[in-house]
Amino acid sequence: MYPQQIHQYVRRFFIENSCHILRENEHFIHVQLTIEMDKKIMNRPFYWKYLESTGDEPNPAQLTLITDKNKLTESIVGEVVHYGSPRLNQLFSVTKELGSFVQMYEKPPVTQVPVQTILTPWVGVNYKITYSSDRTREILYSLGINLMTGMIIKEFQESISRLELESTISANTFHLPYTIKPQRALERLDAVIENQIKLDDHTWAEEARVRQQRDIRVLDYFYEGIENKPETYESEKKAIKEQYETKIRIEIINGGLFYLKSI
Amino acid sequence: MQIEWSSDWKEGFTERLENRQPWDNWTLYKMCFDVEKSKLITDFHGLQSPKYLPGLTPFPHQLEAAETVIERMNGKAILADEVGLGKTIQAGLILKEYLIRGLVKKALILVPASLMNQWIDELNQKFHIPVIHYKKAYDLDYCNIVIASIDMAKRSPHKENLYNQDFDLIIIDEAHKLKNPKTKNYEFVQNLKKKFCLLLTATPIQNDVFELFNLISLLKPGHLGNFETFQSVFSASKHNVEEDEFLKELINQVMVRNSRHDTGIEWTNRRVQIIPLEFSEAEKEVYGMISALKNVSSVFSGAFSMITLQKEMCSSKEAVFLTLNEMRQKCANSEENAYIDGLIGKLSALQINTKAEKAYEIISQANDEKVIIFTEYRASQTYLQNFLYEKGIVSVPFNGQFSKNKREWMKQLFKEKAQVLIATESGSEGINLQFCHHVINYDLPWNPMKLEQRIGRVHRLGQEHDVNIYNLAIKHTIEDHILELLNVKIGVFEKVVGELDYILSEFKLSI
Repeated sequence: MYPQQIHQYVRRFFIENSCHILRENEHFIHVQLTIEMDKKIMNRPFYWKYLESTGDEPNPAQLTLITDKNKLTESIVGEVVHYGSPRLNQLFSVTKELGSFVQMYEKPPVTQVPVQTILTPWVGVNYKITYSSDRTREILYSLGINLMTGMIIKEFQESISRLELESTISANTFHLPYTIKPQRALERLDAVIENQIKLDDHTWAEEARVRQQRDIRVLDYFYEGIENKPETYESEKKAIKEQYETKIRIEIINGGLFYLKSI
Repeated sequence: MQIEWSSDWKEGFTERLENRQPWDNWTLYKMCFDVEKSKLITDFHGLQSPKYLPGLTPFPHQLEAAETVIERMNGKAILADEVGLGKTIQAGLILKEYLIRGLVKKALILVPASLMNQWIDELNQKFHIPVIHYKKAYDLDYCNIVIASIDMAKRSPHKENLYNQDFDLIIIDEAHKLKNPKTKNYEFVQNLKKKFCLLLTATPIQNDVFELFNLISLLKPGHLGNFETFQSVFSASKHNVEEDEFLKELINQVMVRNSRHDTGIEWTNRRVQIIPLEFSEAEKEVYGMISALKNVSSVFSGAFSMITLQKEMCSSKEAVFLTLNEMRQKCANSEENAYIDGLIGKLSALQINTKAEKAYEIISQANDEKVIIFTEYRASQTYLQNFLYEKGIVSVPFNGQFSKNKREWMKQLFKEKAQVLIATESGSEGINLQFCHHVINYDLPWNPMKLEQRIGRVHRLGQEHDVNIYNLAIKHTIEDHILELLNVKIGVFEKVVGELDYILSEFKLSI
């Protein structure tokens, strides 16, 4: 992410979370936090505890973030944020917390004569798969399943991000009830993911096992001929096993229920 | 293979379907997906960490080292770059990489107490890695990255506290302190579980190749075989490394070492001069009397005490006086006492210190540029300070025992007010003085790596001038012998580890 993208990100983040922007240019932003946001990111639980017990007027903080220090011409006092900075990581995780589950309806096209629009229910899920040994690799899968037909499509997020979606259903628009329950649909998507993993190339795991065996052989050589092996032998061995242990982790980033017309 | 499903999301989804919780915001949903996409680690290979550290511009050799350690050495390595090439940066890059990839959750960093704050600052500021000082950690279970001084960590109850934690990565700075397997330090580290492990030292071999064996056996026991096999192959003579090609190959599998000229960085030159000096007649006489002590009394017959006295005499009468006086207490016989009294009398009468005069000459020819003097003795340090003061040269002392504040203050004084800094051996770690480019080795240590450590204080990244090194050695004394031995040791090191920049001088063994 470039400074520009970070600026856009931070800006949208605060706007979406109803934090009022007090002052800004392209390289910094000064915002008034809401009470909720202050509690989430300012890390001062005692202040809020204290307020609750005294009943004083809450005074949520203001925050100045500098997104491109090099281009800033004014002298602004604030926190410098860049990709990898703790503050930005914090905003990322708040975004995740507040952007995990959605229910969205496709907006019908504007027509001169009112037409009834029928929407089809979908479940869309964004998965992250992590392959790990002493190294890691991650893969994103965005899957969507049609709750009427059971049809599954890939790159679902790409497809719907082009559409105009809203959180309430428009007038004159109706949606079909689903024939496949969302929970059941999830199971089907999980099965697709598992199958995808099965089909994938797993030489990485084989290679890790080879590395592991080689290291254990070296260790055994060190303690060769010693009858009562010391504790260090076992702990070294355990460490080697953990070092190369192959694992696959599946995590859902976010997902939701979508009522769509165009897909 | 083990597949882990995280089920948190599904529960949350069900709650929303049943209207027990509100749905989230669509824009934040999309932003969240975009962030995940930008953070995605699409390849087993390569480094992610630079992307997260736009404020840091590592040198190519540092990035390469980090990549080598992770991909070729599987996260267990000795980082052995020469002094001043930024081993901390390499370690920071590796730690950061493992944190980003989720392979390390908990890490332990063991450092000498004097380097503690430097590490905390660097990791915080350059790598955004919050480190908790062990002393201040109230509950280790909740601390992810802990830093401790090794001297504290090895003692109970700290030792047990640390053993009880499941650390994924152990980083040990100044790891040459672990060369002896009979020490508590060694034993402590040996018993730590080391999943990923980095040992940092500029000087993996100080005296002989067994030190390297011991280090590697901590990191990867068996890599060089067990002690018996290693000994039988490599110990024909301690200083004679045979089969070195094979050994080198094995070592290269666990050790990264860059010398200055590997780095591709334009380094300033190192101009090393050995300055042979001749004692004055009076000094020569006293030195002769000291050397003859072993024939006078059994108190002085031990080789070690004799060498100490001789070395001290080559430094200053103040240094030798302290030791001599101490040993005199042990002499019972009046004949012995008379000899020593005579010696002390002659010693006190000495007017001129040849070496100090030479040091003064070098300083006065340095055109007001900063000069560091290294000595092995506190007494010589004090003497030199007075001696220079009388000549109108302001100097500041520097010892390893100084507190962090005092170190900083002395460094500041040196930078702004004084021309000369006089440091003892223990002061030669963890202070960076790139603004100075004259180093006088007033006394020579036995160990070439100590010389390298000293020079590394000034000849490091950021030095803009050629660095002048003056090694002072008195002819026809123990210092001849020290010079010769330094050369032999450098020979062992070069065979096994790699070339050293000229520590002594290009005129090896020319004396």
